[in-house]
Order: sequence, then C-alpha cells, then structure tokens
Amino acid sequence: MALRSNSSTSRESSEKITIQNVSRSYESTQALADVSFSVAEGEFCCVVGPSGCGKTTLLRAIAGLDDPDSGSVLVDGNPVSDPGLDRGMVFQEYALFPWRTVRGNIRFGLDRPACDCADCEARVRELIDLVGLEGFEDAYPKELSGGMKQRVGIARALAVDPEILLMDEPFGSVDARTRDRLHSELIDIWTQTEQTVVFITHDIDEAVTLADHVVVMDADPGTVQSTFSINLERPRERTSPDFVDLVAQIRDELGSPVETTV
Amino acid sequence: MSTRTDTSSEMVVAGSFEGDLRRYLRGLGGLLVFLVVWWVGAMTTQPSYLVPGPLDSARAFVDLFTTSTAIVVPVLGSSLVLPTGLAHLAQTLFHYVPGLLLGAGCGIGLGLAMGWNGALDDWLRPLVRVLRPIPPLAWVVFAIVWFGIHHTGAAFIVFVGAFWINFYGAYGGVEGVSSDLTDAASTLGVERDLSMLKLVALPSAAPQVLTGFRTSIGRCWMIVVGAELFGAPGVGYEIINASNNLAMDTSVAYMFLISLAFLCMDVGFRLLEGRVLAWR
Repeated sequence: MALRSNSSTSRESSEKITIQNVSRSYESTQALADVSFSVAEGEFCCVVGPSGCGKTTLLRAIAGLDDPDSGSVLVDGNPVSDPGLDRGMVFQEYALFPWRTVRGNIRFGLDRPACDCADCEARVRELIDLVGLEGFEDAYPKELSGGMKQRVGIARALAVDPEILLMDEPFGSVDARTRDRLHSELIDIWTQTEQTVVFITHDIDEAVTLADHVVVMDADPGTVQSTFSINLERPRERTSPDFVDLVAQIRDELGSPVETTV
Repeated sequence: MSTRTDTSSEMVVAGSFEGDLRRYLRGLGGLLVFLVVWWVGAMTTQPSYLVPGPLDSARAFVDLFTTSTAIVVPVLGSSLVLPTGLAHLAQTLFHYVPGLLLGAGCGIGLGLAMGWNGALDDWLRPLVRVLRPIPPLAWVVFAIVWFGIHHTGAAFIVFVGAFWINFYGAYGGVEGVSSDLTDAASTLGVERDLSMLKLVALPSAAPQVLTGFRTSIGRCWMIVVGAELFGAPGVGYEIINASNNLAMDTSVAYMFLISLAFLCMDVGFRLLEGRVLAWR
C-alpha cells in the first residue's frame, strides 16, 4: 500500500523514500513483514508503534546499516545497499565519540574525504549556533547532559548536509521539559534545512507534535497498520481539540495501550 | 538558552584537604611501624646476615651511589662509567626497555588485528589458548640456547611477558567497540575497514590498551629480575651476586632500587595516561 497524501505539505512533493514489501526476521521473531510506504521529499514522517514492531529495523534499513531479507528500500528511486552521506542518522543513545569534543564530534563527517566544505571551521561554528551549544565547543560528551548530547548528535548528522535525516527515538532519554524545547528546535531546523525526516518514536504525542504524516505500526509481525496526515498549524498546541482528537484516533488504531507522555 | 546550568559540577568535596592529610599521616604511620618491626627483627636475629637491618641497608643503598662501576653499552660497544647502582640499573634497562617496547608493540598489533578481523581470530584463537598460559620465565631455556643468557636472551623473556599482557589489552579493547559507534561512523562516511579501525576502534580501545601497557610495566620488572637471576647482567643479577657474598644489605638496597625504578615509571605513565585519556 502506497500511502501518500499531498494535502499536508505545501512543498512540491515527490517520493524521496520508498519502502517496498520489506521483510526482515531475526531468528524466531519477524521484525518486519511486507512493509510498504513512502515518504515525500521534504516531509516530516513519524513512525509510531509498540516496542518490537521493527521500527528501528526499518530505520536501519533506510540508513543502509541493515539489509532486509526481501523487498527493497529506494531513495530517489535507487536501491539502498550501504550507508551514505545523503542519509544522516541520529541515535537513541546518542552514539557520540567520547574521545572527541563537541567540535570534534560535529566535525567527524566533514573530515571524511567525501566532503569538501570551503571552511569547515565556519561550518562547525554555524552548526554549534544552530543547536545552541555555544560555549561548549571544547567539552567532552561525558560533561554534557542528555539533551545537550542529543544536540551534538543532531549537529553531527546535519554537518554533511544530508538530504534525509533518520532519527531513532532521539529524545527517549531526555526529560519532558527538555524534550519540548528540542521539539520546537528540531522543527525550526527542519524548516530551515528542508530535509526529509523519518522520526521513530513510541510516543503518540511526540509524533502528532512533529509530523506531517504518522505511520502507525503493529508488532509481531511488524506491519504498517495505517497512516495519518496531520494537517495542524505549527507550532502545535497539545491541548487543542484537533490535537487531542488525532492522538485519540491513533491510540485507538494502536489498540493496546502505548506509553505516552503526560 | 539556559542549558549551561546542566553541566554545573556537583563535585565540591568539603574538607578534602583534611582527608588527604589524614590518609598521608596514616600511611606514614604504617611505614614507621614496618621500620620498627624490621629493625627489632634485625636486632634479635643471629647471624646478622639473615635479616640485614634498615640502617645497614640504607648505608648499602647510599654506597650504590658513592662508588662507580664501568659497564659496556650493548650495540655501541663503548664503555660507560656510572655510580654503581645506576650502572646496574642501566644494564637492566638495556634489555628491559627493548623487550617491553617490542613485546608491547607486537602484542598490541596482534591484539588489534585479531580483535578486528574475525577470520584471523578463528585461525589463531586456539593457538593463543595453548601458548598464552606458558609463564614467560619458562622460555628461559630457549632464551639461553637461542641467544645466550645476556642482554638479548633477557630481552626475549621480557618480550614474551610484555607480549601477552598487551595482546589481551588490545584484543579486549577492540572487541568491546560499541556497534553504535561504528554505525554512526559509517553513516558519516567511513567506508574502509582500515579507516574504521583508525578512527573508531583504536581511540575507543585506547583506555584498555594503555591499561594493558601499564600492567606490563610492572609485570616485566618481575620477569626481568627473574631472567637476571639466571645470569643476565643487571640489578637482579646483583641481588644474587651480593647474597653469594653474604652482603644481604646490598641485596636489600638493590631490591629498593628496583622498587624505586618501578614507581618512577608507573607514576610517569599514569600522568601520561591521564593526559591522553582526559575525555574519560
């Protein structure tokens, strides 16, 4: 099922990521069973579902870190086989290089031969400004709070200017207040960079706060259950009737109780 | 943005100076008690060479630096006159240092290679299991028949000792590299295996590699003295040599010289380690 609606995005949308009949199993569990959907260029897509529904596997397949057993993942119509600089990834547990400073982490991708920025130092400074880490350029990850670590993770992924940003429950381990702030910052960044974002979460509120589209997955086997278009003005009010209504619809769709933030 | 407060340190240890002072005084007390027990033991034991007293040993220690001895520098072949203690310490270092550095280099090299390359690991793991338990000093027989028990032979034994400790440090370090970090690196453009080893595996394994090396500094002092008891020149040989003349106080002086040499190296390396691993 190709699920796409043009109504939610004002940008001209064409398919950026296409997932076709992807299946993947690990030993006895079927993480993904015949999963298909697509994400339009410039779209913010959230994938929600209970743990074990294969959402991380799906993200890793798009990143090229994990090969599906069958089916294919296409980016711009080309099958994905390896990781590439066109797809940046933000990890749940940050995955910062602990021996590199904030600056060194952000710079990591720029120093690979693949990238040719005219002035890498200026680019790093720009990114540090973008994620609000001025003054922490020379701090090591161990000196940072969870929210700050994830800011570094985002800046590091953005450094090589990927067309697609893949985010695996990036704000799962930060406190609720920090998460709210990171949400609005992420939307600001996304508005500026016009990237295509695939954002994994198990938190329905988070998905409705951020996404143009929410893909709802079911576990065991991991399948796409339905897709919702979120046509609400940003920034979104969690208390607005439309917001509450959408969250309720998605929760009904998921059936079993799924953890949400209060 | 008010995130700056997030990093404010909670480490304000009150009265740490008093704590330090107390620990310092207790340590000093322990040393004093030891000296008294040693002194009383020496006074009451006959014949006196069985337990040389602290004063005699101190005098012998001073003698190590007031007399001088000529030694031959290996490879160069030139002769060198130094205070006796330093001369014999230098003799030890002539095989200790090359043995340690070569052994550490080879051990770290093989450890990294096996930890990183699964096929190589499959090939060599059983062999490692067989060779690893052999105590380095057991190789002394081959050191003698292959190299003769001089600097080269002793260096070989030190090499074996340094090799395994450093091997396991590097092997464990590389095996423990988090897959999150290698995943992150590959999404950031690291494609070749060698780049991954250099940019991710090596820095990530550095703490364990350095701990392995620091352990080998101490272990190799034990081994080197063992090797010298078989006849290689150096402080270990002097311990035996002095005891053959029943100059047990001189043996004790050399024992403390070894302890001092080890302490200096250990402290020096810890300082270096602290600087290199400031990120931990």
